[in-house]
This record gives sequence, C-alpha cells and structure tokens, in this order.
Amino acid sequence: MGPSLRRHNLNIQAVKMAIKQRKAIIFAISIATAVVLILWKPTVLIYGLQAAGLYAAVAIPMGLVLGIVHIVNLSHGEFMMLASYATYTVCRALGVDPLIALIPAALVTALFGWVVFQLTIRRALKAPELNQLILTFGLAIAFSQIINLIFTSQTYKLSLEYSSMSLDIGDLSFGVWSFVFVAVAVIYAVGLQMFLTKTRTGKAALAVGQNPKGAAIVGIDVYRTYGLVFALAIGLVGAMGALFLTKSAIFPGVGSPFTMKSFSLVAMAGIGNIPGILGASVLLGLAENFLRSFRGTRDWAEIVYFVLIIAVILSRSLKGKKS
Amino acid sequence: MLKIQGLECGYGRMKVLEGINFEVGAESVGLFGPNGAGKTTLISAVMGMIKPWKGSIELEGVRIGGAETFTIARMGVALVPQERELFPGMSVEDNLMLGAAYIPHAKDDIPNQLEKVFELFPILKERRTQYAGTMSGGQQRMLAIGRALMSKPRLLILDEPSLGLQPSIVAEVFEVLKSLKSSISILVTEQNVRESLKAIDRGYVLENGRIVLEDSAEGLKTNPHVVKSYLGL
Repeated sequence: MGPSLRRHNLNIQAVKMAIKQRKAIIFAISIATAVVLILWKPTVLIYGLQAAGLYAAVAIPMGLVLGIVHIVNLSHGEFMMLASYATYTVCRALGVDPLIALIPAALVTALFGWVVFQLTIRRALKAPELNQLILTFGLAIAFSQIINLIFTSQTYKLSLEYSSMSLDIGDLSFGVWSFVFVAVAVIYAVGLQMFLTKTRTGKAALAVGQNPKGAAIVGIDVYRTYGLVFALAIGLVGAMGALFLTKSAIFPGVGSPFTMKSFSLVAMAGIGNIPGILGASVLLGLAENFLRSFRGTRDWAEIVYFVLIIAVILSRSLKGKKS
Repeated sequence: MLKIQGLECGYGRMKVLEGINFEVGAESVGLFGPNGAGKTTLISAVMGMIKPWKGSIELEGVRIGGAETFTIARMGVALVPQERELFPGMSVEDNLMLGAAYIPHAKDDIPNQLEKVFELFPILKERRTQYAGTMSGGQQRMLAIGRALMSKPRLLILDEPSLGLQPSIVAEVFEVLKSLKSSISILVTEQNVRESLKAIDRGYVLENGRIVLEDSAEGLKTNPHVVKSYLGL
C-alpha cells in the first residue's frame, strides 16, 4: 500500500470516527431533552411528536424528489391539498371513511403527479433552477385557485369519532389519533430506505440522483426514473392528504404552509437525508409546541421554521467559508 | 461492429468533428490525438450524449446516431468515461451490480460477472462494501472498468483510462485491456500512446476534428508523425 493510499484510508477512518462522535452527541442531547420535557412539560413532548410526525410524513416525499430529481417542488403541499379535496368529495359522495379512500387517493394522486411531471416539470429539468421554481410555484397557485373556484374558500371537515379519541394518564389528557402521523412518517422513512437500498428500481433511482450521466451509461432511463420517483412522492403525499382530512379542516390554502415547512425540514436535514428529515421534524415540532405552551410566545410558534431555516443556511454558509 | 461514416457534430454552433469515417471490428482500436482534438466528442456522439449533425453511426448494422444513451448502453456498448461517472454514495458492489442490472443480455448473469470482475480486480472484492466515492482515483478507475465489464459489452469504450493515474496502475489497466481484447471489441482514446500501442491492434490519429492517420499498431509505432508528435522520440 502506497503512502498516498494509506493517508487516504486514514482520512476515511477519521471521518467515520467524527460521524460516530456526532451521532453519539445528538443521541445524548435527544435523551436529555426528552427527560426534561417529560418531567417539566409532557404535553410539549406529546403534541410536539404528533406535529413532527405530520411534518415528516409530508416532508419525506419532498426530500425524495429533491434528492433524486433535484427540483424544489413548490407545489408539494398543494398536491396534498388536492388529494384531501378528492378524498373529501369521494367520502361525501360514497359515504366511505377517508381511511378506506387512502390507497385509491394515493394511486390517483400518483398518476396525476406523473402526468404533471411529463407535461410540465420534465420540460424544465434542463432549464436554470429559477425556471423550475417559477414553474412549480405557478402550479401551486393554479391548483389552489382551481380548488377555490370549485369549492370556494369555505373550510370543509369530516366528523370522525376515532379522530377525537383521547387518553388519560394521571392528570394528563391528550388526543392520540395524531400519533398515526408518527407511524406513517416512520413507515415512509423505513419503507423508502428499504426501497432505495434493497430493490433494483430503488437503487437505480439512487444512482440517477447521484449521477444521472453515469446512470444513463449503465442503461438506466433517467427521465423515466425521474417520472417514477416524482409520481411515487406525489402518491405518498396524496395518502397524507387523505389522512390529514381525518384530523383537520381543509381549505384551498391549506397546503402552502406544508410546502414551506417541508422545504425547511429538507434543507435542515440535507439533500437526500431521509432519516435526517425525521430528526429535523422532531426539532421543529417540539420547538413549536414549546413556544405554544407559554402564553407570551404562543403566536411565535408559526415562525419557528423560518428561524430554523435561517439558522441552518447561516451555519452552512459559515462552514462553507471556513472550508 | 461500430461503423461511422461522414460524421459531423459539435456543441451549439461550434463544429468539432468533420468528415469522420471510422470503424471498429472484432479488434482493439486506439484513437489518439492531442487535447481538444475531438476524441471525447466522438465518443459522446457514439454514446448518444450529443446528436450528430451529419453522417451515420451504426452498431452491427443498426443506426444508433441520435439514439438515447441508455438505449445504446442496452444494445451492448459500455463506456468507461474520463470522469469515471460512478455513484459515489453507493457501495462498490452496488456500482458493479448496476452495471448489469438494466442490460437485457447481462442482467440474469450478475453473480458470474461479479466473480469475473473480482478476478480481474481483486481490490474491488476487498472493498466491495466501501462507498465508491471514498476510494482512491486508481481504484475508482478500476471500478469504472469493472462496472462496464459487468454489462458483458459487445463494444467497450474507454476514454483516457490512464488519465491521472500512477504508472503502476496504468500498467495494470493496460494489462487488463490486453487480456480482454480477444473477447470484446475495444475502442480506447489515449494520450499515453506508448502504453496503448502495446494493447491495440489498430489505431486512428485525430487532429483538429479530422482523422489524419489510420494504421496498424505496428505501422503507427514507426510512423514519423506519430513518433515525433506522440512518442516524443
């Protein structure tokens, strides 16, 4: 082994060690935070985790698109809103539960996502990033305005008994249905990780995300893969649209904050880091609910993600300058 | 195998190649020329990365000029690009596996091909779980060649395989090429003419976008222009 190769191997060992140390620190801080919250403000932990589940389940598909197709889809939340309205309409018309409509909603939204990709986004992939942003922003406006025209700005909500289930532990009483979002977020993260690392199509998608030119050289149809990944992501967010309807009221602008929050979570986690989105969501959910737990700071909760994204961008810029 | 006739192509309005007539049969062919002569452009045109303006490119009688890169790869043309174009965040084994996974005539024989590649490059077997992006330049080059071989190519194209490598690894790469030339058609572009002449049967010299010379390896070794401009004698 030559000296340069030996040095190269030592560098790899050092990086691995640093990553291990960082993981250990993050784990220790997480445990300490959880213990403090359980003792001091348990509702912050409960509702914070529930919110984190919702945010992560919506943000993970956006992370998938950004990591592989390399576009920031500013209409991401609007796809969820469309799925919510479609589910609402079907549930009202057929009298079925949104949970039954969940899989069909996901499939129809995925198909719609594929069509939108082929008709619009595919054509902008080679254009400058600003064009892609304008395109997806335009789609977001178009989707919400179409819904506004059809359904008006009135809010719609389904009344479902199971969504108001609660649990009493001592003096503490809290709603439990929203934990379903936590389960979905974990299923999405684990499922996508398995898909990307264990299946041929998933590995091809990962390859396309890492090096589209290299992927084409080995016979992978890059644009077909982009379309597939986009449709998959929109399908997942479509399922979330149906699930969201079980808990919340919907209106034409309901998707927009989810786009912004998803983007900030994906940016915090780093491109392509799906488990990182889970961690970032927990941070956002806890921070929001922590502020909500005090009367004086309650109204500040909605801007936490702004503060987090600015902090992340600033720290990355500083790191970039140093290196 | 590969037949190019009257090829003209370039980037934007800039013409890079003109009147290229070129053929690779069941043999090993070298394409030599200085920086900027158009070697990589010619390979890009064969691989469908740029569209020909004029002329034809045929693979075993089928016109492939203007076809998509992935289609050409699936037809049996494997490329080892100058920049390697690996998947840095994936393991060596996944990189190799993906070399065959989408190639119709290779995807069902992945374990056998993997063993063959590991025989040629034992270091890849040692590092099969390591991320490709964490390997040294020479190892990455071997991985790129291994990935191309996984596809059981009919035609293997190597773009400057010795670029940026230390001499011992260059020798290893050319030894591998020599061992392959009896079973695969090979097209190799190189600036390291001396080393590649040992591994090829025939060669072309490309200068300013035109083929200026075509001869056997032995003929090129004694050609005054090649001797003066490329062998530095």
